[in-house]
Amino acid sequence: MSARAAIADQPAALPPNTVWLLLGGFLGAVLLNAHHTALWCLPLALGAVAWRARGMRVPLRLPALYLRIGVAALLTLAVLVGYHTLNGIEAGSSLLVAMAALKLTETVRRRDWLIVSGAALFLLLGACLDGQALWRLPLYTAELWLLCTALYGLGAGADAPPTATLLRRSALSLAAALPFALLLFLFVPRLPGSFWALPQPNEAFTGLGDEMSPGSISQLTESGDAALRVRFDGALPPAAERYWRGPVLHVFDGYTWRRRHADVGRAPRLQFQGPAFSYEVTLEPNEHNVLIALELPQGLPDRLPNAFPTFDYQLIAPAPVSRAVSYRLQSYPQHRSLDPLSPAARRLDLQLPPERNPRSVELAHSLRQRAGSEAAYIHAVLDYLRRGGFSYTLEPPLLNLDSVDDLLFRTHEGFCGHYASAFVTLMRAGGVPARVVTGYLGGTWNRYGGYLDISQSDAHAWAEVWLESQGWVRVDPTAVVAPGRLTEGLDELLPGSGGGARRLLAAPWIANAVQAWRGLNAWWQDEFIGFNFAKQLGLLDRLGFRNHELQVLALLLAAGAGIWLALIAWGLRPRLQARAEDGLSRTWRALERKLRHAAAPRAAHECTTAYAERVGRAHPELSSMVTALARRYARLRYGPSASAAELEQFRRAVRLLRANYRAGSGSRTRASSTAPPMKNTSSTRIDSR
Amino acid sequence: MAANSPMRSSRQFRFLSEPRAALAAALARWARARQGDDTPPVTLQARRIYILPTSAGLAAAALLFLMLLAGMNYDNSLGLLLCFMLCGVTLVSMHECHGMLSGLKLLRAEAENTFAGRLGDLQLYFENAQTRVRGGLQLRCAGCAPSRFQLPPASTQVVRLTFQAGVRGRQRVDRLELSSGAPLGLFRAWTWLHLPLEAVVYPAPGGTRALPARRGEPRNDERRSRVSGEEEWAWLRPLQDSDPPRSVAWKAYARGAPLLVAHYDAPAGVHRPLDFALLQGLPLEQRLSQLTQWVLECERLGETYSLQLPQRALPPGHGIAQQRACLEALALYGL
Repeated sequence: MSARAAIADQPAALPPNTVWLLLGGFLGAVLLNAHHTALWCLPLALGAVAWRARGMRVPLRLPALYLRIGVAALLTLAVLVGYHTLNGIEAGSSLLVAMAALKLTETVRRRDWLIVSGAALFLLLGACLDGQALWRLPLYTAELWLLCTALYGLGAGADAPPTATLLRRSALSLAAALPFALLLFLFVPRLPGSFWALPQPNEAFTGLGDEMSPGSISQLTESGDAALRVRFDGALPPAAERYWRGPVLHVFDGYTWRRRHADVGRAPRLQFQGPAFSYEVTLEPNEHNVLIALELPQGLPDRLPNAFPTFDYQLIAPAPVSRAVSYRLQSYPQHRSLDPLSPAARRLDLQLPPERNPRSVELAHSLRQRAGSEAAYIHAVLDYLRRGGFSYTLEPPLLNLDSVDDLLFRTHEGFCGHYASAFVTLMRAGGVPARVVTGYLGGTWNRYGGYLDISQSDAHAWAEVWLESQGWVRVDPTAVVAPGRLTEGLDELLPGSGGGARRLLAAPWIANAVQAWRGLNAWWQDEFIGFNFAKQLGLLDRLGFRNHELQVLALLLAAGAGIWLALIAWGLRPRLQARAEDGLSRTWRALERKLRHAAAPRAAHECTTAYAERVGRAHPELSSMVTALARRYARLRYGPSASAAELEQFRRAVRLLRANYRAGSGSRTRASSTAPPMKNTSSTRIDSR
Repeated sequence: MAANSPMRSSRQFRFLSEPRAALAAALARWARARQGDDTPPVTLQARRIYILPTSAGLAAAALLFLMLLAGMNYDNSLGLLLCFMLCGVTLVSMHECHGMLSGLKLLRAEAENTFAGRLGDLQLYFENAQTRVRGGLQLRCAGCAPSRFQLPPASTQVVRLTFQAGVRGRQRVDRLELSSGAPLGLFRAWTWLHLPLEAVVYPAPGGTRALPARRGEPRNDERRSRVSGEEEWAWLRPLQDSDPPRSVAWKAYARGAPLLVAHYDAPAGVHRPLDFALLQGLPLEQRLSQLTQWVLECERLGETYSLQLPQRALPPGHGIAQQRACLEALALYGL
């Protein structure tokens, strides 16, 4: 192409509606990717679309070739600088948007449009790969429809039908494709494993983390996002036992609690007691690698062969949970330790930063001296928290670096993290090994989905202390400050704090609707997004195929595809056009039907007038009437457009032939041969008897 | 258009020098043997419609495969469903493409005679009795510009295709290819039509010799009576600049007709004998060209003429039928 070629739509080029559809399809694909592409992508795409839209009216001059190559190189560089890679969804989508937008500026021919459409389809795939939430599904569907419509328009070329026709055609095509897509979805083997390594998305998740600094938070924003869903095989554990264990924090610097990643000694063996609860967890993506479990799990989760337990009873996944996983577990809320605490673990969980929180340490020493036993000391500390005028809030004041001192002696306000932090500090200062456990508390029963729905706002922190007689024992200091937190959710605990929005959300029908929506989402996540090879095998199992999974999949696939293709072929079989027939033709045919015994049927080449003459020759008594009817028919058919009244009159005239006219059955007519039948209906009566 | 092209002598080695052409020829022979000759009306049956993906279709397949890989790699259900939906749409479009031709009816096919070296016209009458539009149709034959058209539901349409006439003689349009890329252009369905389309290619008019003199001049009184305009004319044609005013049919003009030239039945025996023998010394084809030129000139002037060829003589006459008979005799002379 020469350096400064003009692009102008030739007369034979695409009609404007097709161009608009193509541009709209491209823009829609870019918009669906807007949240994870580079910031400059959307303006660039908008500019390219505007440029190309202008090209429909004004002949545009292309920028010089070296300029275009330079811009392309520049944009590639921008992606590389922004993402340090061209691989992965975000970098790939950004690059694709950039290149497609550049291509759009020089798009004239069909082939160019096909390339842009292909890029748009691939961008749609990128959006699908990234965002799989149920609410996005309608957007994806609409975009797919738009792109298909644009492709139909492109296929029709210069003589494309109006947009409405194109929309209908593509909708029919998509509807026809849906059964096939579902068939492939169910039966194409989902081979596990990645073909090429991908950079992990660097997104931030709310909820639990590797560390906790209660003092740095002045307002805990509640996130209603789902954290995990749990389906129980049998009964649910009582509300007070619904502690979902997450990261355990050991290391404290006076302000921040951190995890200890290396094991310290072996986990003390446990003797499980009381009822067991079996359940299946679906864990949403988060930023740590701890698999959440009801306290305390026995054994390891199935389906996650690489998961392992730690010395502090966490279940660790080998990699951060970057996508929803599900696993089965069995837990016993009651248990006792069979082994003593190892010296190293004891040292770890007694560690306190020196010279920090001096007043708290002092308080601990005095309380410990007054208490006879470790158990009594725990009660004394809890009593202190209960009676000391402490209150629960999600909007605590900020704390200084001696965060425990600040909380206990100045602010007296905090949420679970504050009290867990203070309690564990006091325990350690009093010589009792203790640690902070973060996780979730409670959960909402979703009756639509039949599962316990635990959201990020259920996040909680509590303490574990080591008692020589029992082992690790859970103590929830928040429970003494705000007893309601255990049995009720936050919503009930903090009635006025959220204002109108919270009260509105508490309205039963809205709560119901929210539950239903979450239930639907859970189904979508579990059954659709989470559909994998294991679920495929489960499906085969339910269909009655036990062995030879891959062969059966292939067989089912082939059979289903064959049936579908046959159905499509049948649906598209040549169908003859039903002859357009209006009221006038119907009336005339009624006349012929009545005369079918009087004369041979009208031949295809025979006009109505000739037919009437033929009938008249065979039956002179009918001649005047039939001829008049034929003449009137011709006038109504070919003359100036007839009024409804005239058509009705014609119909009445034909009805005068009251029954089937039978030749030779002694028919008599009282037809007047002079008066036109239309004018005087009573004079043209024919009796068949 | 193959009948007049000389048969290649080294046919058995053609696959070495021109593998593509050889393959196409073999395919054509196979299709012809399989389908046999067509005599309109022809309804296109499914078994004679062939379909293959276009280059755009192959690119689409590559795109779909890439999408499948990406979906598999991310183990992403939604991405896979999108990929499968697009596969479905592609396959539906394949069926639709096939349906563009399947059941189409060819009612009539005609080839118009023409002169050597000029363009001729093929006329094909298609009927679409279906409820669906048949779009993206393209008709072409070897060595002629393709003709694109679409057939609305329940319609009949004449499709014209121009072909390049070769040398004089009979020219067969061996086979036509009717194809469609609709609706998405990812597939191309086509069928070959082997119709009895034959045009007579007349010699190209040429030569500078003057018309031979009339034979059997009419008497003076006859001429006068014609000038007076009392006689009944035999037929009329539109006026041309070279026509003398006295030949205009003034009476018809007075009645509201446009300016026409009236032709009178010439008195018996007055005609121009166009004789092959008059052109001795010229090569055969030039002689035929000159005779063709004369025939056309006589027609233009409204003269009566006869044609004498060795072994064939056409009696004096004029008009469309005479012209056609003479031109065909010239076209087929010696063949």
